Amino acid sequence: MASKEATVYIVDCGMTMGETSHGRAQTNLDWALEYVWDRITATIATGRKTAMAGVVGLRTDGTSNFLESESEYANITVFQDIGQVFMAQVRRLRGELVVSSTDAGDAMSALIIAIQMIVNTCKKLKYERKIVLITDARGSMQADDLEAVVEKLKEDATQLVVLGVDFDDPEYGFKEEDKPTSKAENEAILKQLCQDCGGTFGTLAQAVDELSVPRVKSVRPTPSYKGSLTLGNPQEFDTALSIDVERYPKTMTAPAQSASRFVVRSDLAPSEVMQATQTLDGEAAPNGYSEGLSAVKNALSYQVDDENAPGGKRDIDRDELAKGYEYGRTAVHISESDRNVTTYETVPSFDIIGFVDKSQYERWMDMTRAALTIAQRGNDKAIMALSSFIHALYELESYAVARLVKKENNEPRIVLVAPCIEPDLECLYDVELPFTEDLRSYKFPPLDRIITVSGKELKVHRNLPNEDLQAAMSDYVDSMDLATFGTNDEGEPTEYMPMDETFSPMLHRIQQVIKHRAVFPESEPPPPADVLVRYSHSPAELVQQSKSALSRVVKAADVKKVPPKARGRRFGRGKEAPKPLSDLDVGALLAKDMKRKRRRIDPDNAIPEFKQLIDAQDTEEALDVVHDACKQFKDIICDWIKHSVGNSGYGRAIEGIRVMRENMAEIDEAGFFNEVLRDIKAKLLGGELGDGRSEMWYMVRVNKLGLLQDQDATNGVSAEEAKAFLTAK
Amino acid sequence: MADLSKYGRGGSDEEDEEEEEVEESGYKTVKDAVLFAIDVSESMLRKPAEGDPKKPDTTLSPTLAALKCAYALMQQRIISNPNDMMGILLFGTEKSKFQDGDESGRGGLQYPHCYLLTDLDVPAAADVKQLRSLVEDEAESSDLLVASKEEVSMANVLFCANQIFTTKAPNFSSRRLFLVTDNDYPHASNRDARNSAAVRAKDLYDLGVTIELFPISHPNRGYTFDRSKFYNDIVYSSMPSDPDAPAPLTADIKAASSTAKDGISLLQSLLSSVQSRSAMRRAQFSNMPFEIGPGFKISVKGYILVRRQEPKRTAYIYLPPDTDKPQIVSSHGTLVADDTARTVEKAEVRRAFKFGGETISFSEEELAKIKHFGDPVLRIIGFKPLDMLPIWAHVKQNYFIYPSEEDYVGSTRVFSALHQKLLKDQRIGIAWFIPRRNSTPALVALIPGREHRSEEGEQTLPPGIWIKHLPFADDIREPPQTEVVKAPDPLIDAMRVVIQQLQLPKAIYDPRKYPNPALQWFYRILQALALEEDLPEQAEDKTLPRWKQIHKRAGQYVVDWGRLLEEHYRLWQRENDRGPKTMTNGSTKRSGGAAPPSSAGLTKKVKREAEEGGGGLTDDELRAAYAKNAVNKFTVAQLKEWMAGKGGLGKGLTKKADIIEAVIGWFETKMEVD
Repeated sequence: MASKEATVYIVDCGMTMGETSHGRAQTNLDWALEYVWDRITATIATGRKTAMAGVVGLRTDGTSNFLESESEYANITVFQDIGQVFMAQVRRLRGELVVSSTDAGDAMSALIIAIQMIVNTCKKLKYERKIVLITDARGSMQADDLEAVVEKLKEDATQLVVLGVDFDDPEYGFKEEDKPTSKAENEAILKQLCQDCGGTFGTLAQAVDELSVPRVKSVRPTPSYKGSLTLGNPQEFDTALSIDVERYPKTMTAPAQSASRFVVRSDLAPSEVMQATQTLDGEAAPNGYSEGLSAVKNALSYQVDDENAPGGKRDIDRDELAKGYEYGRTAVHISESDRNVTTYETVPSFDIIGFVDKSQYERWMDMTRAALTIAQRGNDKAIMALSSFIHALYELESYAVARLVKKENNEPRIVLVAPCIEPDLECLYDVELPFTEDLRSYKFPPLDRIITVSGKELKVHRNLPNEDLQAAMSDYVDSMDLATFGTNDEGEPTEYMPMDETFSPMLHRIQQVIKHRAVFPESEPPPPADVLVRYSHSPAELVQQSKSALSRVVKAADVKKVPPKARGRRFGRGKEAPKPLSDLDVGALLAKDMKRKRRRIDPDNAIPEFKQLIDAQDTEEALDVVHDACKQFKDIICDWIKHSVGNSGYGRAIEGIRVMRENMAEIDEAGFFNEVLRDIKAKLLGGELGDGRSEMWYMVRVNKLGLLQDQDATNGVSAEEAKAFLTAK
Repeated sequence: MADLSKYGRGGSDEEDEEEEEVEESGYKTVKDAVLFAIDVSESMLRKPAEGDPKKPDTTLSPTLAALKCAYALMQQRIISNPNDMMGILLFGTEKSKFQDGDESGRGGLQYPHCYLLTDLDVPAAADVKQLRSLVEDEAESSDLLVASKEEVSMANVLFCANQIFTTKAPNFSSRRLFLVTDNDYPHASNRDARNSAAVRAKDLYDLGVTIELFPISHPNRGYTFDRSKFYNDIVYSSMPSDPDAPAPLTADIKAASSTAKDGISLLQSLLSSVQSRSAMRRAQFSNMPFEIGPGFKISVKGYILVRRQEPKRTAYIYLPPDTDKPQIVSSHGTLVADDTARTVEKAEVRRAFKFGGETISFSEEELAKIKHFGDPVLRIIGFKPLDMLPIWAHVKQNYFIYPSEEDYVGSTRVFSALHQKLLKDQRIGIAWFIPRRNSTPALVALIPGREHRSEEGEQTLPPGIWIKHLPFADDIREPPQTEVVKAPDPLIDAMRVVIQQLQLPKAIYDPRKYPNPALQWFYRILQALALEEDLPEQAEDKTLPRWKQIHKRAGQYVVDWGRLLEEHYRLWQRENDRGPKTMTNGSTKRSGGAAPPSSAGLTKKVKREAEEGGGGLTDDELRAAYAKNAVNKFTVAQLKEWMAGKGGLGKGLTKKADIIEAVIGWFETKMEVD
């Protein structure tokens, strides 16, 4: 795939390129450069040494090229020789590719220079050669050497692309009115040139348009398995079937480029940092290239439990560690020489277990990405053999289930194998199937009936749709059909948004902004291209046509948004106390309990008794009781922390704080909790609860057990105050 | 509090860079602690009179069956939920024992006739060992499993459990007490004692502990467990930690029978009811707005029901010089600058992309804005027929969604209407899906899932809608160039006959019948190492095809097909003017006689030799070089070519030193095998 390439961009910088035409906001040159930067940055993004580019300026004020002594080659500047391009060069080029104050300079001469540049670099080697000429065709052109140019381009198999500012293109649908005669003539010459050498001739508007269409990176197919597909065991039985096959990936998530962490280098003085982020031409680059940054890495430190060490933990040096596994909480050491002992030994194989009904297969079982299997390439007999298998599966509407071991000692997987028959491809697709251990047996009630606790089956219930809703939903689903909503090239109805017309929004979005920032570090990232968000909503036409169906669903459904929590609800009033299955009044039993009557919370049973104390209050006057309960609970929590060996008591303390916080939010009284939390924090950080309790405060922070805010409950603090409180150490 | 879990778990959606990682860790923090409380009374210790000696399971006393069940669960959870805790409390025993580190020293005195066999914790190898010797060695168990003369106080049992949960698993989001007993009416004549137990049960409820009852009946003694006498005062219906859980499907679990009924032993029925309750539902996302149409939303919760269970990765451990007990090592990460190794605060960190040999950086806010494609939503774009979804349209694990009334009242009935319509017409929804704030938007298919129930009426697959991520154009790979040689009809017909012989039972794939052999092997070895036992020799692998059956049922038809293939292939060669190729594969194997033993083997040999003839290295050549420590005399190209035939050996290596190391390593291991 990745063959060597050499591309020369010829950019017309003539005076006329400084004009703005046809209502565009930018100059023609800037417009042209949009295309150039996109292509060059795309090349840079590949990071390949063998993807080379050069840049030639046409109609420049100065002259600099290897034929500069000859007058025909005046006003042509080689800004960049062919080579791998880096960002530093892009920055330099940005300052060089500017509108000149001349109209002199011959496009044909520039072309010849570009051809020569390629010849110099590529010699006779295998390269993809390409010249891109972008011009408004308003300079004078010497068309005498045309034939020689065509000859040379053809001989070297160099691809020529001419993109013109406001060139006519009936196919794209653009025609420039009042075109100057000289431009029309030049356009014609260039068009003829492209035709003669088999190049591409287009109008710039189209090229710039198409920049927003994401380019899908093709990946060379590499087999994930090469071997036989067997039915039966050839080692044991002479009736076993075996076909040589190759298996390749079919789907594989193309990830968006990920960002790494950096910090501003600390070894640079502030002024140096400034310098380091300056561009070469002195232009400030607030957030672009970043030589002043240093990578951030995650340094790991290791600890083991040690009763004798302070805090119960002891640091261990990395060198002292060995490899092993955890079995439950037991460490199991496996020495280097034994490390294969846990490997389940397998040999590569693709072995059919049996066959299943296509119609009964349910798609929830698919795991992991898909792969495709073809017969060994070049092996006609195997191709024919596999073809019979593919067709037989297809005709029987069956899938195969097979055991696959891709490489020696890989874990066996079970895959579902499905036939695919296309005019130019017969293959098997497969997806992995789950094992017993992969299933989680979560249970949910039926959706089409309600089974009550007493075992009765209901068909009418508020959680079940009535006939109106069912009918309306049915109509709505039918009206939103995408199967025929799209249009193909022949104008016939076809599937809307097939997968090969959808592009990964994040992947291309990140690419878009990186490339943009690389060239324009000082400006805001542009909005996402339309094509990336096209499928985030139903097409307007479809919405329009299903509008009435939807409104019937809405009416029949009668869905109500749950209002934000009602404020001011206090204590147990109106709250249904939880009861055991028998509806026994436990509250009454609690009220009679001698021990609990005294309202002293037992530290050993603190959480239940705290909750019960709060739940039992039902008058405003009880606030004092609540306040006292909070204070008692706080003392208990502080005690847990104080007597904690290492961090052993922290979990309990955290749970206590959480319960208090939740309960105070529920009865809408933030003040008591906040008072408690402030006190605990002060004690923790003040060392009153023992030394080295900072981990306890860290746990409060990560569990987000901060002050109750005014949005949580009455007497809460502001969001800013809560944040400040939690972040302060 | 209400908002914390709005779009994810505990507000951990701060950093969605490494989305998968967040998912993984979010999943792990929801931990489960199970304490078995097993009744040890005279009747629980009585072996069933009519047990079948040939089936040892049927002769177990209820107490031993419960212990065996706990033993099985413990081993299983080490594999499936390595961070979850488990403990075993016996009650009604003559002996009493509480936590080892009990500072007050009151221990056993405090909870008479409660014997804490295994303290609540992530199980250790020693726990597994102890439990096994108890269930397998009668002498061991007869010493401990002695019923107390006086009745144990249920209030005390429950408070004992309370203390165990409070101290050992204070902030686990799921805490469950599994109560196994055949006594439906403790303290039959003491109302106060029963009331105390009810109060202690309420304490557990307020603590966030769910009591799950596993009642046992004795039909042969004419005894049926009656919950209404006592246990309905103890057990609460809804899980406090999951208030919107649908009415429990397992509340009506029937009492297990102490005698083997219909061949199902007490142990089996206990295991299956423990199994059916073993899962606490862990939502991947909650209150997700599900936009059925513009402006019309309901709310759903998302779960992962199918996920590849991987063997544990190797961990760092510490071998203290003074003992032979390896210790588990915990690690902590600190962000440091690469150049000066100084500690870096989170706020200092900038995000940058590598580009053209430089870094292109963005502030955190900018990056958040760039990644923002709108708030989390599951938005329907339209509908398609299910058969428009090709089998390969799959990139990652599926989510399962189920309606929630939390944000929108009426969500369930709307969801139900949609579910029924899609099921009936075999249609799917196509939707735009943003699972969390700033996470990667995806296009997904919404596939209706039918409820499955076993023959016993137990739900095996819940009804709901599956979210399947669709590949983008970027994710679809091109197939390699190849040719089509369509098989002639008679050959296809012959293959059809073969296929028709070999349907799996009910023509479906049932994952429950296929344990993961590599995973099972891994944990068997690990367990053997942990318990210092002999390593097992042979792995059990239920994924291996039943070759004998295949031979018996389809063998002859395969031979017929092979003959036809030979014929038609020759015919095709003549018609297409193709000479015979060296590769003669895709045929049946016919060993014996003068025929080659296996044409596949032959083919490979021919090819290998051909390659070697062309200058490739042979094993012997290289082995000789290895013996002389002279592997490095070969070129990288030669070595790579040789490695290509060794199943992924040295894949991706480019440096010669690395390659040589890989080659040497290969021979080292080979030598051992030889």
